[in-house]
Formats: sequence, structure tokens, C-alpha cells
Amino acid sequence: MKKILVANRGEIALRIMRSIKKMGIKTVAVYSEPDRNAMHVRFADEAVCLGEAASSQSYLNMDKIIDFATKLGVDGIHPGYGFLSENAIFAEKVTKAGITFIGPEPASITLMGSKLAAKDCVKQYDIPMVPGTDQAITDIPEAQKIAASIGFPILIKASAGGGGKGMRVVEKAEDFVEQMDRAISEAKSAFGDGSVFIEKYVGSPRHIEVQVLGDKHGNIVHLFERECSIQRRHQKVIEEAPSGILTEEKRQKIGEAAVKVAKSCNYVGAGTVEFLLDENLDFYFLEMNTRLQVEHPVTEFITGIDLVEEQIKIARGEKLSFSQEDLKINGHAVELRVYAEDPLNDFLPSIGTITKYEKPSGEGVRLDDAYEEGMDIPIYYDPMIAKLVTFGKDRATAIQKMKEAIAAYKIEGFATTLPFGLFVMDHEAFQTANFDTHFVKKYFSKEQAQAWQKGKARKAALMALAHWNANKDTLKTINIENRNWKKR
Amino acid sequence: MPEQKIIVNAGGFDFEFEKDKIAKFEIVNNKDENFSFLYENQNIKGNIISADNKKYIIELDGERFPVQIKNELDQVLDQMGLNKPKTTKINAIKAPMPGLVIEICVTEGQEIIENDKVLILEAMKMENVIKIPHEAVVKKILVKTGQAVEKGQTLIELA
Repeated sequence: MKKILVANRGEIALRIMRSIKKMGIKTVAVYSEPDRNAMHVRFADEAVCLGEAASSQSYLNMDKIIDFATKLGVDGIHPGYGFLSENAIFAEKVTKAGITFIGPEPASITLMGSKLAAKDCVKQYDIPMVPGTDQAITDIPEAQKIAASIGFPILIKASAGGGGKGMRVVEKAEDFVEQMDRAISEAKSAFGDGSVFIEKYVGSPRHIEVQVLGDKHGNIVHLFERECSIQRRHQKVIEEAPSGILTEEKRQKIGEAAVKVAKSCNYVGAGTVEFLLDENLDFYFLEMNTRLQVEHPVTEFITGIDLVEEQIKIARGEKLSFSQEDLKINGHAVELRVYAEDPLNDFLPSIGTITKYEKPSGEGVRLDDAYEEGMDIPIYYDPMIAKLVTFGKDRATAIQKMKEAIAAYKIEGFATTLPFGLFVMDHEAFQTANFDTHFVKKYFSKEQAQAWQKGKARKAALMALAHWNANKDTLKTINIENRNWKKR
Repeated sequence: MPEQKIIVNAGGFDFEFEKDKIAKFEIVNNKDENFSFLYENQNIKGNIISADNKKYIIELDGERFPVQIKNELDQVLDQMGLNKPKTTKINAIKAPMPGLVIEICVTEGQEIIENDKVLILEAMKMENVIKIPHEAVVKKILVKTGQAVEKGQTLIELA
């Protein structure tokens, strides 16, 4: 491959291009009109404008992207994450145009794109799944038998339901019949369909995923797990690798299960198998993401492997240069997604112009970003500004580094998730690795967040008072920002 | 005689302190421009970014807080309304960002008060509630549910 087009924008486009350039390959950027001055466009060797701001007119416009790629003599297309990365039709069209799609086969994308088909496919490989009925049920005695075999607590879900409606948790066997009755009648009145599913209730779920890499010669390895349980709106904000709680034995088991899932769909390239982990460290298959993940840098830190470089080598048809036995975990990495959102206001978007931008730096600090001072955060795309990743010899060191990096990272002009990152790093539940996907609900409700903010403001008030008290008679004015050393 | 209080507004929150307690506060200026201050055995460390009479900008763990200290005189002025910045009343609600109108929560002629929900605007695939900063009457609604709007576009006229 001599020239690769990156069909994406922002930090991920830039991050992918860095690896491409390192390999001595030319880069082509695509962009929408408002992204003309974006850093990925300025970094690339060549760049083409796709059209208007709306994704459908630009970053999702398959035919335009492929047309330009053909004209510019591109021989590989990397889709990044989001946009067209899990679009089987795009992968197919790229291949038909005689260009290598840097990702899995279209058939693997389609198969894993359907949750039901994916579960059906991995069943034969003995992958654990949340125990329960795979068909809707209305027969109460039959349901009672199944519930007893699953073990309590169990969850009753209306098959026509959604968004938490028609869901019921049953703690013990005695309550089952009554709860089932009510669930069925509720489902009937709410959705006109009384059929329900029953499955094991996971009360304290953690989101654990495993990175896999497969080449075109049938070799598949896993690159250990990532813990992604700190979420808001069911979207990840903080990730780490390895998990703070997996035992060596479980790590091996979950890794082997992930490799089996990848084998079940003949997976080629970099992919991620997601699992739900319960309080007994039992894991259940959720789904497979057939692309590079946002949080891939934590895996790169602990394995020393450049995943984008591997993706390109695999696409070129090369064999993996390492085996499972060669892979070892070294140290610990934590990632914070810096979003233009206000954590004190239910993480609502908070957009604007970046009036001040100072990056953290140092050993073990990696910042994947694509913005500079003076830039606007466009509203058309994802509100993620950057990924701040820190690495240390162990978990405590990585957390400490993250705290220092957050304090050194200055973004002004709007609210970001940086203070939330500090809240999590300082929280005992996070430090002891004793948390689940309910972290934000449990510890960071709007009221709790406000109280926490007020505590910090009080410290600021005290500091100002102390200074004022000591200096009020001399009336000294301070302005640190005008001092020469700050201007550097 | 009531105890003398100092009111401090920091980062939007009001705090009250007794004046004679403050008199004992001691602050240490470290060489690296950081300040350190002991309060109930806790070492509060931070940076004073700017100090202008009773107006401060304090930085703690990289986060900046505007701080305003109010002594007795300021408090009296506040009560008399002399220190209050003149609040400008708005006569229209404009779109703070481009987006899609998801819901209009008011009707023409309706009287609304501060912080009432007026409109829900979707941007970045998220819903944003637009509120009114002061009481007003809805004069005219210029947009419809489902309509795409540009930044700065007038959505609702107020009277």
C-alpha cells in the first residue's frame, strides 16, 4: 500500500494518519466544509472536501468518498470508528472499487451487527450468555421452572417493551408467580402483548471488553481486557486496562472466549468483544464491535502494540508477527474522554470556542486530540474533544498521573468532563476498583455533583479570604497571567 | 449586636464567614507561586491567578473559580440595590446553537417566570432545554416543532 485514505475526522483521523505516516505511506484526508481548517486536514498529504456539514452530505457519503479515492489512486481506506466503520455496504463498495478496506470482511460486519444473529452464531462455541429464555413466554408454570433453573434474582422483561418499561426484578422464588402475573398484565395493557422474557438479573454489572486481532491466515489473538464501566447515558467516559478486579484465571478465560467469538465469524483485523461481568466475576457475551474502538490507546499502552499499524499490516495480507504467548501485560493505563459537556448539568452539551488550550505532557501521558486555541467545537459531530490517557507501572501510579494531567490540561470557553475525571480518580470506589455501570447514578447525581462543586468553591472562597485578610491593608494586585514566565 | 459577617461568592455559590474567625487566617506563599493555607488541619493548596481588591480568580487542581468578597459595606449596598448590575431584559429568545426544535413548551400569550422551560432544541443528538432568564409574556412563537433552526435565529418573541 502506498496511499491510504482515512474516512473520518477529529482525533481519530489524526491518530490513524500518524501511524500511516510512520509506516512511510501517504495519507489522504476527507473533510466537510466547516472542517476545512481541522488538524487532520492540515496533517494529511492530500485532502478532499466532501460537502456540507451534515454527516449525510460528507463523512457518510460513501460514493463520493470512493470516487475521490479512485481518482487519487488510493489503495486502502481506513474508516476509523463511528461514521462508516461498521457499514457492511461501504466495506463491500470499497472492495468492489479495487481498494482494500482496512477492517473485517463485510459478512463479519453484518453478522455481528445483529445482536440476535451474533448470539445465535456464538452459541455453538460454548460462550457464556446471560442465562434466560431465548423466546417469549406466557405460560406461568413453565416460566417458574425456568426461573428456578436460572436462579434468583431474575429479571422479567416485556418482549414488546423498551427503555425500562415492563421490567421487573424478582428477588426470591416465592414472589415469582405474583410478579409474573403483574408483568404479563402490565405488558398487555402497555403494549397489547403479554409475552415476556425471563433472564438472570445482573445487579452490579461491569462492562468488560476484550481486544482481538485476526490476520487473513486464520490466526487470532486477544490483547487482554479493558474495563469500561464508568459511563453516562450508557456511553463510556473512563476506561482502563487491565481491569482492576479480574483474576489471572478469569483473564485467560475471558480472553479465550473472545478469541472463540472472533473465530465464529472468521474475523479479520482489530475487533472488540464486549462482555457483562457480574459481582461473582462471571462473564456473559454481549456483542462484538467490528472496528477500532475509541478506547484502544489503553491497550496500546499495556501491550506496546500499535493497533492501527497492525490493522494495516493485516490488510496487506501479512501474518501476525506475534503469538498469544508473546503478549504480556506491562503496567496499567487509564483513559478519560474529554467531552464538551457540563458534568454539573447532567452532562448536557456545552459548546463554544476554545478560548484557552494548554496541553498536559510528560512521560506516561498521551493526548489524542485535534483542537487548538481559537477553534470552535462544531455541533454537527460527536462532542468529544480529546482522549487523555496516562500510563504507570501499576494502577495507583496511572491514577495519580491522570490527576496531575487533568490539573495541567487547561480548556476554557465551555464546560468539559475534565473535573468529572478528577472526581472519579479521587473517589474511593474507583480507587479500590469497586464500581459498576451505576457509578454515575450512585455517586454523581445532579445534587451530589452540585454539593461536590460547592465544596471546591468553598475552598476557593477560603483561599481568597485568607489572602485578602493578609493583604487588605496593602492593596496589592496580582495578575499572574501577565508575568513573563507564563508567556513562555 | 449581631456578629459581623463576610459573604463570599465563589463559583456561583454564596458562603458566609464570621469576621473575627477570618482575622486568624494565615496564608503561605510558596516559592513556585502556589499558595498554601491551613484550614481545620486541611492544607488547601492553590494558585491565585488574579487579585484585584476584593475580586479574585483562584485555581484549585487546574480548575478556576471567580471569587467576590463582600464586607459589611458591600452587603448594605447590595441590599439597597446599588451594587446590582443592571440586568438587561431580553425581548426575544434566540437559538444558542443550530439544531432541531423538538418541543415548544409555551403558548402565545402565556405568562412565564424565571427558569421556565420554553423550548427543547436538539443538537449533537442531545436535547437541550432552553429556559427563560426572567419573567415575561410570550408574544409570538416563530418556529414549529420539527423545524431546523440556525444559530442566532429568533425562536420566540417576548413582551
